[in-house]
Amino acid sequence: MNKILSDTVSFGRQYLRTKVGAFFAFIFPVLLIMLFGAIFSSGGGTGVSLPIQNLDSGPFSEILISTLNSTGYFEISNISTDINITDYVDDESLPLALRIPSDFSSDISSNQTTIVQLYGDPTKSSYMVSYQIIKSALDQMGYNISGGAPLADITQSSGADVLEPYDFLLPGFVGLTVMINAMYFMTSTCAEHRSRGYFKLLATTTLKKYEWLTSKFLFNSAMLITSLLLTFAIAKMAFDLKADITLMTIALVVVGTFMFTSLGMLFGTMVKDPESAAAVSNIVGFPMMFLAGSFWDLSAAPLYLQVIAGAMPLTYLNNGLRDTMIYGNETSALVNLAIVFVLGLIFFVIASRLMSWKEK
Amino acid sequence: MAEAVVRVKDLKKYYPPDVKAVDGVSFEIMPGRVFSILGPNGAGKTTTVEILEGLRTPTSGQISVLGIDATKDYSSIRRRVGVLPQNFEPFDLLNPAEAIAYWADLFGQKMTKKDVEGRLEQVGLAHRKKSMAKNLSGGEKRKLGIALSLVNNPELLFLDEPTTGLDPRARRDLWKLIEETKKNGTTVVLTTHYLDEAEKLADDVVIMHKGMMIAHDSPAQLINKYGKRTAIVLVDAGSEGFKELSRRGISGVVDGDDVIVEVGDPSELRVMFAKLSSIDVKYKEMYTRRQTLEDVFLGLIGSKMEEGVLQE
Repeated sequence: MNKILSDTVSFGRQYLRTKVGAFFAFIFPVLLIMLFGAIFSSGGGTGVSLPIQNLDSGPFSEILISTLNSTGYFEISNISTDINITDYVDDESLPLALRIPSDFSSDISSNQTTIVQLYGDPTKSSYMVSYQIIKSALDQMGYNISGGAPLADITQSSGADVLEPYDFLLPGFVGLTVMINAMYFMTSTCAEHRSRGYFKLLATTTLKKYEWLTSKFLFNSAMLITSLLLTFAIAKMAFDLKADITLMTIALVVVGTFMFTSLGMLFGTMVKDPESAAAVSNIVGFPMMFLAGSFWDLSAAPLYLQVIAGAMPLTYLNNGLRDTMIYGNETSALVNLAIVFVLGLIFFVIASRLMSWKEK
Repeated sequence: MAEAVVRVKDLKKYYPPDVKAVDGVSFEIMPGRVFSILGPNGAGKTTTVEILEGLRTPTSGQISVLGIDATKDYSSIRRRVGVLPQNFEPFDLLNPAEAIAYWADLFGQKMTKKDVEGRLEQVGLAHRKKSMAKNLSGGEKRKLGIALSLVNNPELLFLDEPTTGLDPRARRDLWKLIEETKKNGTTVVLTTHYLDEAEKLADDVVIMHKGMMIAHDSPAQLINKYGKRTAIVLVDAGSEGFKELSRRGISGVVDGDDVIVEVGDPSELRVMFAKLSSIDVKYKEMYTRRQTLEDVFLGLIGSKMEEGVLQE
């Protein structure tokens, strides 16, 4: 058998025989996408819990509560009027609670501005979303009472208007899976090969370094494409997934695997044992997970974070995947594919040069 | 005269700031022989061998392996060389049959299933061909290592401490394998710190100490040159026995309660035994003390032995 092919088969055989390897290759992505699906897909949600202390006995507080109920966003419950709401929020560790003052209806009737109080933890995203929804409900109520209407309104749409939030997360999820499996895996493989003397052993054969590196890339690509197809098929069956795997998606996964396998090899030239491999991968991997736009849009992030994201290889893979899977913008995806390939080539050449199987 | 398989001239390997791992070693290895490099831990054995295997770069010196300059173009002879590195660890999750087939592919060597089984048979692993390497015993792992190092039918085989840590039976099994390999015409370079192993297997021995070569010859010649003479020991003969022997014109020395009578030539042993038996000397028992490589070591480098292994 050809040396590269034989090394690929032999390596794959060993990898898949480790329970951890098989778990991270096939089961972990499925679990992760099921989890994301459960969180972000549209069906089955129970809404955000919003306990309300209504001190008002007039009609307008009832209208407000009814409006909030109709948004479908909240699960509304009552807080007794004889309780100190501040203590209650602290005692119950409530993320959200609303207090309607006793003069709410009378103030509105006499055209005075009235204030409702939202309690909770403003650092949580649900707090800010709830704040905006309550504010909108108050505005809507104001229009209804005054008989006015907003001058302009907004309706939801997207490039493909049937897409769900879950669909938008999928490309980031694919990019992240490619990074974790290829980069973390290669760094730890290099560390294990060095600490167990496998590199020295391989150096006694006619296998060349570039052949070994190529076989790892081939194995990772085959594994990740299989894993992607499996995960996607399950997600398609389990959720109402609209995003599609295109040929460009496959190309991006292959080239992304090449880039992260090469980057992992590059880190692998610096590590001597599996412990330091995990540390190096995490130092690079964690910031990339959060700053490369895998799970949220970076255009709202501060400029300096956007600059940092621009320096992260995962950003271009995520952008390319989003271009092809969400927007069908193949031209933009191709540009990102080219960037990912060039970065991969640079990492591959540097790793090949720096990697040494010999002793000093 | 046959060409040397390995020629080493003034080989040096220094590490900053001032470690001289190998310091001016020169020797030749002739084809079809077992060449053993002996020395205590840290003597420079493995460094020397790894340079010959193309796994380390020397600081200076000339090294020719199978007729090529090993510092320049090792890839051209890699296919003709077999290596079992020190502390060999097989790939845990391959079984011996898979490992041999894989290794053959890495040498571009065509091996059928039957060839693989033949190789497993040769090293005594046929019954373990489907066991994962991680489940093999230490001796079986080493046998697998030798099977891998032989997969390309090498002209030159390096075995770096192949029996370290093995039990006596596993060691003897490997000795048999090494003897068979030699019979097939392969030149074997064997590093070890087991003196009995070198004495049993080697045709030529180099003794290294602190990076330098301090002796080089066949085991028998080394013993002749550096060892004490063969002797007969009269246990518990004491000073009375010594006096009686002296009276009869036999020279000996008192060593504790024993009397030791040295014999110039081993062929004179029978005569001396007869003489001693005829003298009325009281002793517990009488035995022959033959010199070994261990004695040579003790004399040459002042090392001590712990469980048959040389220590500084």
